[in-house]
Amino acid sequence: MADYSLISTPPLAGTDLRFGTCRITAPADLALVSLALPLGGEDAAQKAIAKAFGTALPDIGQSAAASDGSTTLLRLGIDQGFVMFTHATPDAERVVAAKLGGAAYTTDQTDVWCALDVTGPDCRRALERICPIDLHPDAFTIGSLARTTMEHLGVIVIRTDTDSFRLLSASSSAQSFLHAVETSFANVM
Amino acid sequence: MSQINRIDGGQIDRSKLLSFTFNGREMHGHPGDTLASALLANGQILVGRSFKYHRPRGILTAGSEEPNALVQLRSGARQEPNTRATVTELFDGLTATSQNHRGPLEFDLMAVTDFASPFLSAGFYYKTFMWPRAFWEKLYEPAIRSSAGLGRLSMQDDPDHYDKGFLHCDLLVIGAGPSGLAAALTAARSGARVILADEDFTPGGRLNSETLSVDNMAGADWARMAVAELASLPNVRLMTRTTVYGAYDHGTYGALERCTDHLADSGGKPRQVLWRIYSKRAVLAAGATERPIAFGNNDRPGVMMASAVRTYVNRFGVAPGKQVAVFTNNDDGWRTAADLAARGVSVVAIIDSRDKPAVCDVPGARHIRGAAVKDTVGRKALKSVTLTDGQVIPTDCLAVSGGWNPNVHLTCHQRGRPNWRDDLQAFVPGDSLPVGMQVAGAANGAMTLGAALAEGHAQAARQLDALGLTAKGSAPQAEDEPRDCAGFWHVKESAKRAWVDLQNDVTVKDIKQANREGFRSVELLKRYTTMGMATDQGKTSNIAGLAILAEDAGKPIPEVGTTIFRPPYTPIPIGALAGRARGKDFRPYRLTPSHKWASENGATFVEVGNWLRAQWYARPGEQGWRDSVDREALQTRQSVGICDVTTLGKIDIQGRDAAEFLNRVYSNAFLKLPVGKVRYGLMLREDGIAYDDGTTARMSENHYVMTTTTANAVLVFRRLEFARQCLWPGLDVHLISTTDGWAQFAVAGPNARNLLRKVVDEAHDLSNEGFPFMACGEVTVCGGMPARLFRISFSGELAYEVAVPARYGNSMMDVLMEAGREFDAVPYGTEALGVMRIEKGHAAGNELNGQTTALNLGLGGMVSQKKDCIGQTLSKRPEMNRDDAIRLVGFRPVDRSKKLIAGSHFITKGDEAIMDNDQGWMSSVAYSPSLGHSIGLGFIKRGHERMGEIVRAMSPVHDTEMEVEIVSAHFIDPEGDRLRG
Repeated sequence: MADYSLISTPPLAGTDLRFGTCRITAPADLALVSLALPLGGEDAAQKAIAKAFGTALPDIGQSAAASDGSTTLLRLGIDQGFVMFTHATPDAERVVAAKLGGAAYTTDQTDVWCALDVTGPDCRRALERICPIDLHPDAFTIGSLARTTMEHLGVIVIRTDTDSFRLLSASSSAQSFLHAVETSFANVM
Repeated sequence: MSQINRIDGGQIDRSKLLSFTFNGREMHGHPGDTLASALLANGQILVGRSFKYHRPRGILTAGSEEPNALVQLRSGARQEPNTRATVTELFDGLTATSQNHRGPLEFDLMAVTDFASPFLSAGFYYKTFMWPRAFWEKLYEPAIRSSAGLGRLSMQDDPDHYDKGFLHCDLLVIGAGPSGLAAALTAARSGARVILADEDFTPGGRLNSETLSVDNMAGADWARMAVAELASLPNVRLMTRTTVYGAYDHGTYGALERCTDHLADSGGKPRQVLWRIYSKRAVLAAGATERPIAFGNNDRPGVMMASAVRTYVNRFGVAPGKQVAVFTNNDDGWRTAADLAARGVSVVAIIDSRDKPAVCDVPGARHIRGAAVKDTVGRKALKSVTLTDGQVIPTDCLAVSGGWNPNVHLTCHQRGRPNWRDDLQAFVPGDSLPVGMQVAGAANGAMTLGAALAEGHAQAARQLDALGLTAKGSAPQAEDEPRDCAGFWHVKESAKRAWVDLQNDVTVKDIKQANREGFRSVELLKRYTTMGMATDQGKTSNIAGLAILAEDAGKPIPEVGTTIFRPPYTPIPIGALAGRARGKDFRPYRLTPSHKWASENGATFVEVGNWLRAQWYARPGEQGWRDSVDREALQTRQSVGICDVTTLGKIDIQGRDAAEFLNRVYSNAFLKLPVGKVRYGLMLREDGIAYDDGTTARMSENHYVMTTTTANAVLVFRRLEFARQCLWPGLDVHLISTTDGWAQFAVAGPNARNLLRKVVDEAHDLSNEGFPFMACGEVTVCGGMPARLFRISFSGELAYEVAVPARYGNSMMDVLMEAGREFDAVPYGTEALGVMRIEKGHAAGNELNGQTTALNLGLGGMVSQKKDCIGQTLSKRPEMNRDDAIRLVGFRPVDRSKKLIAGSHFITKGDEAIMDNDQGWMSSVAYSPSLGHSIGLGFIKRGHERMGEIVRAMSPVHDTEMEVEIVSAHFIDPEGDRLRG
């Protein structure tokens, strides 16, 4: 058998744009695995999650960092959450599934999404141009997340710090997504 | 030209001189000027020609209600027609030209139209251009359009950028006049998140135009202090140059911010931003608009609104005339006279329609009681006015005040109807306001300064209370000025044309004629006369027009009512509505994982939904797309072809009840699908019509992967979520899309297995026994890369679909092509895919078109009668199960050299080609390179029983007819030996 090897080329890899004091970067090797809580098995799943990550699956619309800080849990719905962590190899789902021992259903979402981290004092002003969600710090505290649409694209927006947000959107439309975010910064800076 | 009309005072910055041109003539003004104030300062009284009669027109107002002073701003591609000079902020280098004239503004050749006016009354077009009908489009309309109308488009692409955005607040205050500022201050001091929006570049509203005091200081100074305080607070967003143009559901408002319109160059930034403002509460403080009185020749340049004259004098330091006369029906008109006199502008007369004593002392002015102006003299600039008693008063500026109309527009955007108030002779906001809105100040009929400030504070306090906040501070204090107003709309003694709607050239006579001709409803009046239909939407004309209609019909004004106010309050450029959505950014696009490879290998792309898919890969020497497509299809059937099929929807389904769930959403049975197997499934709509098809693979006991068609991926996902959450919440089923997560490639053709054997790791058995037709499983490729393999075939060949994590997709395409080199593997696009599926008789979007049933598709056996599923019950309707139902079959031309045409209808030989004899239609056609002739799929009555019959395929659209033979839809390998091989 010939020796073939596959090369990873994520759609936004290497993105690093600066607008004044603001910056847009694509986090490298970001892995996402979805969790689904089995009907009737929610408590057991919650316990397994808390045990595996050292933190409970947060309330809907919130994120929580694992005890060792390496992983973030996102709660997207009654029975749905995401595990977000840095992991280069294409086995993220197996890693998470192994920790949960079958207490929750897991699906690899790593390649379904692409991510952009936006930081800087003016990033809320830029996101105003595309994000219908109220990102005022009183309304959207650190750790808050929301599913919304930006320029027709489905987006999960997470506040990672006072002036930092992580945006997740579909990987197939990554170029349109980057263009939308980039244009917003260019328009206000 | 020097600024001959400039006087002392005003809020302009005289330390800086701005140059601009009007019709090529250089003029000067100062920062703080509008184009209108600068034109007046430079003595430019005549600024444009009217819409219909090309009458000379000057500046009427000082605000966004302006009907006359519309100019073309800027030049080249940035030229913008119908820009109101009264709200255009002056900048250095501004260029403006007047509109709607042939030849110079002063000698408009089209002014001859005015002499034909007796023939051009209301309804003229409707009556005159009815016959012959065919002339309308080619002759009448173009002729009318070239003589009437306003500015001209540049006919070039707009080079400016536009943007949109979203804002949120506790309280939106619309208008930064006295009541708006009072409301914003109260709310801001109380800690609420406040947005204060005002269309002007200097907040303050009428305070900037008046000499009234607030809290014992000049009103304009108080406004500046209030604005400074608001600007210093972090919880306030102060938006000047921003018009809130529409009130929408649930406290949502539309606003247009003009970001760079006041600059010579936008610097590459968006010129305007269209905001959507989500407010918890709103205070509408939109003020009021002064209305004119209609009298003979009241449209002369030099006839202006009294409040506007005062604005030019007080705010801009410009005297619109040297000998000003005032014509009023109310106390407020007197303030213009008093302010002008105080500033040294000569006021020659105050003509009050009311027979009452002077409201105040105006030095040097004659007070003429109980009189009215019935005519004016001066073609391009006012020279004198003639009163009803015959006396002639020389004047170069007549300041007219017919009272004030509260700006109720936004209160009506959700069908609220305003109420009439006799004491104001005006409509005020009605009882049914948009959710969360309160109205304050002049917009609510609080027409005096003291009352407006108090109401601004009170309404803000009320809204804060509703938000659970406590109002802080007290209302600013001011006197209440006299405001008595008479209901006096037009001067009956005028023999000459008296203009009501100056922008659309509608006269008192037109309104009366409409009433006489039966257009008695105010809505009909509007459409028949075009009153209020221009870019100003009748802000100065509507109330006067309906008052005249009421009077003529002998009805009280409230009984006549108003027309419906709709968004936008002022015109919104199309560019702003489009925002960024232009050109290739019109909508997002999706790329397949192998897009880069495809672009580098000669692919032509086609839009499929939002996806860009490779349609075919041209090779050097090929003469057209058919050459490429024929080659791709043939080579795939002869050896092996590779196609990126990532765009098909993929839904990950997990749960203890996943099998039961699938059994309910698919019409065919899924309960017993073994692990490691794929099954083709058909979904029905609730009404029994075929909805979508695809395959579902059972990866493990409780884990399935469903594929959908590309077009329906989102719809199917949504439908499944609905079924899961709403129909059967008791099932343990969980869905998540993985469409973008896996790069999936079809590898089809006799050498498909040989090719994959080189890529799939050796541990996996790919033999026909080990991995038979319709097998699936998790495998590894290229030395350990997790992958999924499905043995399914759309082409009819021995075929697989192999999926790897999407980020490896481009590389996978490279690997597959490299591994396939020894087999002469070919990449194929959607066209070859389509050819091969037609050759195989597979239904696709053309067949699953929302009109066809499983029976029609020849899939009647797939609607299981042993279980229930969505759509099963209604699929049993007799009409859908007729013996002569249409059936999907194949067609080939009797003359094999002919090309079939999709959309052709079938007529039985010998029957007349009429609708009653329609037998069905051709849904898909292709040239089959394998067979060497055109083939088609289509639906025809009892098709399955008519094999070999020759029918006529007719396309009246193409004007074609040909004989075709009904054949099996399976043109290639009908027994399916290849795909099982």
